Amino acid sequence: MQGCNASAQAAASVRPDSPVDPDGPSGPYPIPWLDKNGSHNQPAGPDLEPSHIYHFKGRVARCSGFNGMGTDGNNERLLFGTATTDYGVMDGEYWAARAPQTGAFTHI
Amino acid sequence: MHDFHPPISDAGLYWVVPVPAGALQWSDGGRSATIEMRDVAVIDQPKWPARKAQASPARMSFKMVFEATNTAVTYENKARLFRVTGFLATCRMEARVAVPSIGFTWRSDPIDKCPPAAFAVIGNEINGKYYEEEAGR
Repeated sequence: MQGCNASAQAAASVRPDSPVDPDGPSGPYPIPWLDKNGSHNQPAGPDLEPSHIYHFKGRVARCSGFNGMGTDGNNERLLFGTATTDYGVMDGEYWAARAPQTGAFTHI
Repeated sequence: MHDFHPPISDAGLYWVVPVPAGALQWSDGGRSATIEMRDVAVIDQPKWPARKAQASPARMSFKMVFEATNTAVTYENKARLFRVTGFLATCRMEARVAVPSIGFTWRSDPIDKCPPAAFAVIGNEINGKYYEEEAGR
């Protein structure tokens, strides 16, 4: 492949029978700097953005810190929740695959 | 000890799944939200956050209700390109889970018997390119 540029080499590596999405996947992707612990996640809290999705605009709801009770199949009472038990909702427009997309997502 | 969540997506989205049509309802001009999903495919990963911690296929059903308080908030970080405008909120939830491989089931107390979350917020967010575009106007 001498003389080819990187794009041409990448294109050449695509098998003719494999599906190609030239603009990339249309699913949402994470906020780049939500990576403090090597994970694209952070707790819910003041001054923190509720969305997990980058290039996003829309409605959000976010919460953390549950402590409740429940019952298992053996009728035993079990606690649930911790200070970091968190959930969230994102509903709106995000940018992916070089185009606006819409959708609703939940962090559970 | 159990820990139920969806797997991390290929793109890196952390425990995020699509919400099917009709499962999420906003009301009161966006000041209230109810989400109810049944039999969401999740994993039970008791040893999380250990890397490669064993995970068992599980199902989770839940209902969560957010309701705004009268306390308005704005969170903005120009360096990180986001702004949130909304209200502090209350959030209550009920859930049930099942891990068929070990015969485990669990159901929380009803939503009105479960204490609310320690922190909740509801509103609107704009981030990334949308924030930059708005700032550039």
